[in-house]
Amino acid sequence: MLAIVAKLVARRLLAAIPILLVVSALLFCVLRLLPVDPAAMSLPTTATIAEIEAKRREMGLDRPLPEQYVIWLSDALHGNFGRSIQFGREAGSLVAATLPATIQLAGAAMVLAAIFGLGGGLLLFHLRGTWFEAVADFVSILLLSIPEFLWGLILLFVFGVALQVLPFTGAVSPNLPQPHVTGFLLIDALLVGRLDVFASACRHLILPALALGLAFSPAIMRVLRSSLFDVYHEDYIQQARLRGLPERQILLGHALKNAALPTLTLAGVQFGILFSGTLLVEVIYSYPGMGNLMVDAVRNADLPLIQAIGLTYCVAVLLINTVVDSLYVVLNPKLRVG
Amino acid sequence: MLALEARDLTVSARIGEATVPAIRGLSFALAPGKILGLVGESGAGKTMIGRAIAQLLPAGFAITAGSLLFEGEDLLTMTAARRRALLGRAIAFIPQAPMTALNPVLTIGAQFDEHLSRLGLKSRKERRDRAVAVLTAARLPHADDLLTQYPHQLSGGMCQRVLIALAFAGNPRLIIADEPTTALDVTMHPPILRLVAEMQRQHGTAVIFITHDLRLAAQLCDDVIVMYAGRAVESGPARTVFAMPAHPYTRCLQLANPAMSAERRTLYVLPDQMPGLMQLAHIAGCHFAPRCPLVTAECRREEPAQIVVAPSHTAACIRAAATASICATGGEFNVPAASAAPLLRVENLSKHFITSRGPFSRAHNVAAVKDVSFTIAENEFVALVGESGSGKSTVAKLLVGLEQPSSGRIVFDGADLTAPSLRRRAWRAGSLQMVFQDPQSALNPRRRIASIVTQAMEAGSRPASMEERLKRTKELLAEVGLPADIAARLPGQLSGGQRQRVNIARALCRVPKVLVADEIVSGLDVSIQAQLLNLLARLRLELGFAMLFISHDLSVVRQLCSRVLVMYRGEIVEEGPVEKVFGNPQHPHTQALLSSVPPDEADKEWPLLQAN
Repeated sequence: MLAIVAKLVARRLLAAIPILLVVSALLFCVLRLLPVDPAAMSLPTTATIAEIEAKRREMGLDRPLPEQYVIWLSDALHGNFGRSIQFGREAGSLVAATLPATIQLAGAAMVLAAIFGLGGGLLLFHLRGTWFEAVADFVSILLLSIPEFLWGLILLFVFGVALQVLPFTGAVSPNLPQPHVTGFLLIDALLVGRLDVFASACRHLILPALALGLAFSPAIMRVLRSSLFDVYHEDYIQQARLRGLPERQILLGHALKNAALPTLTLAGVQFGILFSGTLLVEVIYSYPGMGNLMVDAVRNADLPLIQAIGLTYCVAVLLINTVVDSLYVVLNPKLRVG
Repeated sequence: MLALEARDLTVSARIGEATVPAIRGLSFALAPGKILGLVGESGAGKTMIGRAIAQLLPAGFAITAGSLLFEGEDLLTMTAARRRALLGRAIAFIPQAPMTALNPVLTIGAQFDEHLSRLGLKSRKERRDRAVAVLTAARLPHADDLLTQYPHQLSGGMCQRVLIALAFAGNPRLIIADEPTTALDVTMHPPILRLVAEMQRQHGTAVIFITHDLRLAAQLCDDVIVMYAGRAVESGPARTVFAMPAHPYTRCLQLANPAMSAERRTLYVLPDQMPGLMQLAHIAGCHFAPRCPLVTAECRREEPAQIVVAPSHTAACIRAAATASICATGGEFNVPAASAAPLLRVENLSKHFITSRGPFSRAHNVAAVKDVSFTIAENEFVALVGESGSGKSTVAKLLVGLEQPSSGRIVFDGADLTAPSLRRRAWRAGSLQMVFQDPQSALNPRRRIASIVTQAMEAGSRPASMEERLKRTKELLAEVGLPADIAARLPGQLSGGQRQRVNIARALCRVPKVLVADEIVSGLDVSIQAQLLNLLARLRLELGFAMLFISHDLSVVRQLCSRVLVMYRGEIVEEGPVEKVFGNPQHPHTQALLSSVPPDEADKEWPLLQAN
């Protein structure tokens, strides 16, 4: 099985190369079409035209666009995404500093989405044929139509502003220190033994993770329910009943595993979108992740930084899809065994 | 004490506002260690009885009267928990489609483990040993390895053996086997049936054996009940019912079934089809009356009671005494002499499929058809027989041009069809036509019948006008024996037999010289099958065409074809005139195919079924 998964991962990584090339080229070209001049922006407003021209030559902006792209790409391959115009630091190191926070948020949100999706799907299926079915159906469609930023605002107002039970800005209380070992705040807090920091970070994570989790679980819920319906029409379910198995065991031991397969395919797509969904949620909660960095970069037309973050999002989505597909192989014996 | 007793069992279906009985007043008694056969065509209510025992009826169906006693205890009034405790332990089921009856994501071992732990085996080791023991008893070699495998790694026959082992694992006192061989290859039928019979003898289990094949029931069962439209029309000792059917329906079914040893004759054709649940309400008196050759005015007055025709042999027919007089009409079976000159010549045809799984795996070359050569003369019906996976369907697709051969030639009327050219292809469509296996998926569900059967007229430089097409539709529908008003309907509104007629009509639209028919009667009931076989024989006389008839059913082949090609693993291993090949088969595979057909005569033993 390991060999098959390794093969799949290798194939996916190979396929990722042309995808990343196309995405990077698109990013590069589209950003160059913007009516902004990186040379002028990197100089003080008092700079003369001659100084700007000199800067343009220095930055290589006078060369043809394809050549600029190749230079930028080869630098990027060496981990050098150029210098952020607004911060004056390496764009790559800025991304590296904020990426762990975003991964932490997305990871927590995915776990919540999976739990809500699974639980909700089972609940919806359990209510089939009862009076509650129509109600549950209506609620799930209602949930399906609420996007993550709206959840972000709703949760913020209810639990942050009105009830004042949970914090809603930043990743940790401002009066606490932020230990830095791996970059993942939750892990670092435990590593240095600061349980108060860990608890505070957890509390700060709840609302943004919940917003994302709630937004991305209804689709999983509904697909799981309809997959369960399909599976219940299969012969082996009938046959399990004829062997006298109790319904609960049929659901959890026989139907759920089969229904999980189509659900997982959807979850892969959903989790890809979820990762990019962190952007708006981070802005709403002033969460110090890549999303906030991106918004800053866009606002200031900080081209090197935008490119670096854009590529990072793309890589993350590809990675998530690869992981989910590997999981699919692990769960589906037809793919696992030759 | 009886293993199972049904007293006036009635199952009703709610359709809209109406309540229609799907099974009416069924009574039978099954003693321990006996096999009771439930015989009938689809829709007769056979499967419903098995479902009633488990109280797992489809939505809308309910038991409305009668009782069903398992060892004296009424299954219908006992608590759900008590009934569930019996299922799997005292009462077990062997399903119809073994490939889909095992959970695809669990290993065989996991499914056994779950079942055996429910049966009360405490330790893991104990359960494992028991699983190996029952699998070995079901004649599955390497039971140890089998436990780690998934259902998709097994063949259909192996899956069925696993399910039989599962069913017998709890030493049940009653087994319901619902057409346990129908979904399997013919050569798998005798070994599976023998296994069921052996296990039944060893365990002393009572068995309800549901089947559509009276010949098979006669060999396997002690008693049979023949069902028609939800009612038992005849019941008695299996061999007696088979040898001397007392109900006209049983007799007609037998006459509709092509024989393996007797003289070839025109098959008896029962008109129309079994009434559906909705139609039943509108039939007064005997429900078989509309199709019965012996019908009298009295038959339509009231439903006939069960009449004892011999000790323990009853029939629900007032004309039972006259049943033996029913015989097939239409005279002798007319086979026009095939001309010697071959119309279609297949020379060294091969087809390899290359299965590749992307850049990292090696390409596998699978030979589906290996060096196949044969000829078909004008007006000749040639059969191509073999197991599933032997390459029969690939040959069909190669002939009509749906696949391109890897090597070899197909010469039709002197022209090489393998030469690639578009015009040839259009021309080929006019002279070689295919009828597909599954009438359901072969017809576009969104097209009207008229547009389906005249589809061929859309091709060519000048599409036919609507009037021309409607005119041709009328002719074609009349030829295949369908009413003209069907032209405006959609395929979904037709029955399976009617759809297959539409399928044939479509292939006949431009009067092809060769028809390639891929298992066109395999999913159909005997009476519908007889209608289609007679139809094909008549159409040949009227229109004149040759046919490559692909089938796994040797009695059908014998009925219709004059020459047979036996295919095994992509090669033709034996060929010759049907009488000669069937009379004196040379290749072991031909012998295996032949011996898997139950004998026609009631007093003849089926050697494969006997314990060795």
